[in-house]
Amino acid sequence: MTHLVQAIALGLLIGGVYALMASGLTLIFGVMRIINIAQGAFLILVAMLTWWLWHETGIDPILLSVVTTPLMFGFGWVAYRLLLSRIRGSSASMSVLLTFGFALVIEGVLNITAGNKFKSATPSYFEESFRVGAISLPKAQVFGFLAAMAVLAALYFVLTRTWTGRAIRAATQNPSGAALVGVGATGTAALAFAIGSATTGVGGSILSVLYPFFPASHYDWISRLLGIVVLGGMGSLPGALVGAGILGLAETLTATYGSLNWSTLVFYIVIMVVLLIRPQGLFGAKLREDTV
Amino acid sequence: MLSLKGVVAGYGGGSVLQGVDLECAPQTITCIVGPNGAGKSTVLRVISGLLKPSSGEISMNGETIGDRSPDEILRKGITQVPQSHALFPAMSVRENVLMGGYLIRKNRALLRERLDMVLERVPIVATRAGDNAGNLSGGQRRMVEIARCLMLDPKLILLDEPSLGLDPRSLAGVAGLINELNQAGTTVLLVEQNVRLGLGLATHGVVMEGGKVRLTGTASAVKDDPEIASLYLGGASGSAPGGPSSAGPKTEAAGV
Ligand SMILES: Nc1ncnc2c1ncn2[C@@H]1O[C@H](COP(=O)(O)OP(=O)(O)O)[C@@H](O)[C@H]1O
Ligand SMILES: [Mg+2]
Repeated sequence: MTHLVQAIALGLLIGGVYALMASGLTLIFGVMRIINIAQGAFLILVAMLTWWLWHETGIDPILLSVVTTPLMFGFGWVAYRLLLSRIRGSSASMSVLLTFGFALVIEGVLNITAGNKFKSATPSYFEESFRVGAISLPKAQVFGFLAAMAVLAALYFVLTRTWTGRAIRAATQNPSGAALVGVGATGTAALAFAIGSATTGVGGSILSVLYPFFPASHYDWISRLLGIVVLGGMGSLPGALVGAGILGLAETLTATYGSLNWSTLVFYIVIMVVLLIRPQGLFGAKLREDTV
Repeated sequence: MLSLKGVVAGYGGGSVLQGVDLECAPQTITCIVGPNGAGKSTVLRVISGLLKPSSGEISMNGETIGDRSPDEILRKGITQVPQSHALFPAMSVRENVLMGGYLIRKNRALLRERLDMVLERVPIVATRAGDNAGNLSGGQRRMVEIARCLMLDPKLILLDEPSLGLDPRSLAGVAGLINELNQAGTTVLLVEQNVRLGLGLATHGVVMEGGKVRLTGTASAVKDDPEIASLYLGGASGSAPGGPSSAGPKTEAAGV
């Protein structure tokens, strides 16, 4: 019983962090129909930067997201203007090619500048845990979860309470309808891409503490994030949250009752089963079947 | 007020509009009729800037707007309600209407004022404020779409088939609203399949076919044109106005 509670609590903590990482990917897809394969590379880029800043200054890695988030916002905005805006109107597969290339470039740059070695930021609380009754929750995991929830709440606020957010949702739900009220497609897309990239600021900082990484780790991360987003429904934020929770739970439950080796496999089996029943994912809308 | 001269436009493969001339005088209601595929919706799309004309001139109050972006054209006081899919289905009715004021979002007082004006004119915006637009009926959606385009207090409203899919009661509501707006000084350019309704509402009529304007005149002159009467009004009596039987044969003739 304690094992079960422990596994579920840990699974939800991990799921919260996955949710943050996947939110940017699904947001970008929702607005622009761009599948940003470089999202994993953005995470590793931030993790590397965080690691280096932590190493040089000793400032807490998760706190460093205060620096990396605006940096990634700007990075995303520029990347959209210079790179992704050029493929506007092309198919989603074109975006896969372009952003995959982008990911390779980032990986190459990191290989040269940071070296092809595993890194991990280890702040003082790295090996400590909070004890709640019989279960213990690693402090890093808890802090990561809290940071992720704070960012998701902020994202929710921006999307529902600000004009920028309204414009982004409008463009997601009905691009031509958005154009009719004066929401510029390019400006909105650039903002959505920038916000989607900014989520990797916090996500990457958390990653640097919770998971050892090296430049090529982005393959691993993007496949996980794509899995989450496909499971939840491409473009759906609630879908990303639920998909991330399922991945977190699948990993910890399998690791507790089966073996660590099986934990990722179980998640992909869940995805396949769900997609057989609901090809559009848990929360995904069937393409353009709405009547408005 | 609005003037199109020799407008040519298309969607990539060939020209859909092949030299369209059109005038809308201030405070009139002009109704474009014509078979399916004649290019009626395309005319509205080039005016609102969603589609760029490849040649020809479009001007509003003497100012060229053919090369402007959709938001610049909105700022000139031209708003459009398209044939379908105008609203944001997962947003509330209130938020949909508020989005109509996206361009004046920085001026909160004005936004508030316009919202109050719209709430008064189109009561459904108040009664269904919290419901998602995707859950409304066709008639309610039309009202919200029109309400949304009032947020910019437009000088010219473009309406694409406002009667599409509406039951008689909603139809009367929409027609009443169009009349009210016009009486308040707004110029209206609408496209209608329901020729009786459209020309009945309008002061001026325009008949389009095969990407060209075939006939213009006052609404009653167009309605009484013997050819138009037999083509679109189904003769003296009997078949449904604008129904498939009356529009059918012309569609092929107009094939673009
Ligand atoms: N988005 C589009 N892409 C390509 N062709 C289009 C598009 N929209 C309309 N057309 C074509 O343009 C012609 C005129 O269409 P439209 O203006 O919608 O006609 P109407 O509104 O008079 O029925 C039709 O032949 C139609 O197939
Ligand atoms: Mg049409």
